[in-house]
Amino acid sequence: MIQIIGVSKVYPNGFEALSNVDIHIGKEEFIFIVGPSGSGKTTLMKLLYREELPTSGQVIIDKLNVAELKPYQVPYLRRNMGVVFQDFKLLPRRTVWENISFAMQVVGRPRSAIRRHVSLALELVGLQKKADSFPADLSGGEQQRACIARAIVNNPPLLIADEPTGNLDPTTSWEIINLLDKINKRKTTVIVTTHNKNIVDIMRKRVVALESGRIIRDEQLGVYGSAK
Amino acid sequence: MLNSIEFFVSEAWTGFKRSGIMSFVAVGTVIVSLTIFGVFLMGVVNIGSIIGTISSNVQVSAYVNRSLEKYEADSIVSRISMLRGVANVKYISRTDAWKRFKEEYGGKMSLEDVVSDNPLPDTFIVEVQIPELVPSVARQISGMPVISEVRYSGKLIEQVESLASAVRIGGLILVCMLSVATLLIVINTIRLTVIAREKDIAIMKLVGATNSFIKWPFIIEGIMIGLIGSMFSFAILKSSYDLVVFQVSQALPFLPLISDQRHLLAVYLIVGCVGVFLGMMGGYISVSKSLKEFS
Repeated sequence: MIQIIGVSKVYPNGFEALSNVDIHIGKEEFIFIVGPSGSGKTTLMKLLYREELPTSGQVIIDKLNVAELKPYQVPYLRRNMGVVFQDFKLLPRRTVWENISFAMQVVGRPRSAIRRHVSLALELVGLQKKADSFPADLSGGEQQRACIARAIVNNPPLLIADEPTGNLDPTTSWEIINLLDKINKRKTTVIVTTHNKNIVDIMRKRVVALESGRIIRDEQLGVYGSAK
Repeated sequence: MLNSIEFFVSEAWTGFKRSGIMSFVAVGTVIVSLTIFGVFLMGVVNIGSIIGTISSNVQVSAYVNRSLEKYEADSIVSRISMLRGVANVKYISRTDAWKRFKEEYGGKMSLEDVVSDNPLPDTFIVEVQIPELVPSVARQISGMPVISEVRYSGKLIEQVESLASAVRIGGLILVCMLSVATLLIVINTIRLTVIAREKDIAIMKLVGATNSFIKWPFIIEGIMIGLIGSMFSFAILKSSYDLVVFQVSQALPFLPLISDQRHLLAVYLIVGCVGVFLGMMGGYISVSKSLKEFS
């Protein structure tokens, strides 16, 4: 589904965030991208949703070369993926329901579909009772679930979660990871960046480890660090 | 589609309200500019109508160097009537003219004390239908025997027309400058909304909204500013124009100001369209510029 071939990214200030990275991700996979801060995890995610362009190499999603997309094609690429952030990026003046339906409104979905899909998404993340709350009235875990609901409401085949548990306590982090696992079992490809060793070690999913922009390890049923 | 329009309009309205004071400033600027624009348009339309009235009443006066017999006068009247463009010819004998002159001014002093004899010549008053033909009519009359002098109010028309073109050019420059100022203020106002919405825009882009979709609420916000400004300036223009027409009809009844609302409808429509257009352009330019900066 996703092929990252020989990708390097050098920022205008000369910082090399990624260096000759190769990753192939199959359909319906669940994959952790791990590594310390500054290892290039977030840059890698940004290349996927085309917030950044690679300096060299290719990013191919579903046979589309992301770097070659015309600006007007980018929205259609993004409609096929959901993105979840560490800082949630919920709109503070809108309720949970409005935040989620917003993602459907802006792609021009009809009202009846919006009503149905928002309900389903809220049910999936377990936030039915908080539909009319504003983000500020929610706990961090609830905000992240609202963010996940927004990301999956359009049923994208790919979900990208960049440090989804970065701001959450361990118990809540597990709830979020289990939710992502549940979404993966519904045949959605899930890519999660994290530096939460505990979670990675227990989940035993595929793990790609980055360090200073290079892949140092890529293993199935992997763990966070080399076993010591 | 209908869903999206509802979304655009409610987003635009929220933006309009959130910009608060700046929205008022923008609407106020639109009102001032459009009102001045409207006054200018009214001026042009009315000067046009005044020129029309003056031109359609152009008279050529032909003076004769001696007293004419009745039959001579009749033959000249019929010759003049045959000229192209002539609507009516009237013969006023010098005796009649003198009598009228004395009736009009005679009360104030005894004219016989000043002039012993009737100084006025026999006169033909010629009405010309088509203003452009006046000079040629005048030339042909002056070529006739016994006619000593021909006069017409051509100079006046030329002067009014040159005044009118000065008003047009000056007004046009003023309107252009005001339009630019209005546009800049609308752009700035909507920019505030765009900045307040940066997060929304980022999320819209992230979930796959197209740029044109993102732009619409801001364009509509601009249209709202333009529309509200237009409505106020229409109210100002209409009420003050009606007042001016009433005052002028009392004080200067001979000045042919347009009072038929149907003729003014075009002016109001143009003013409204310009307002909406300025608002729309302001919104479009503002959001397009910002979208480029964000991505």
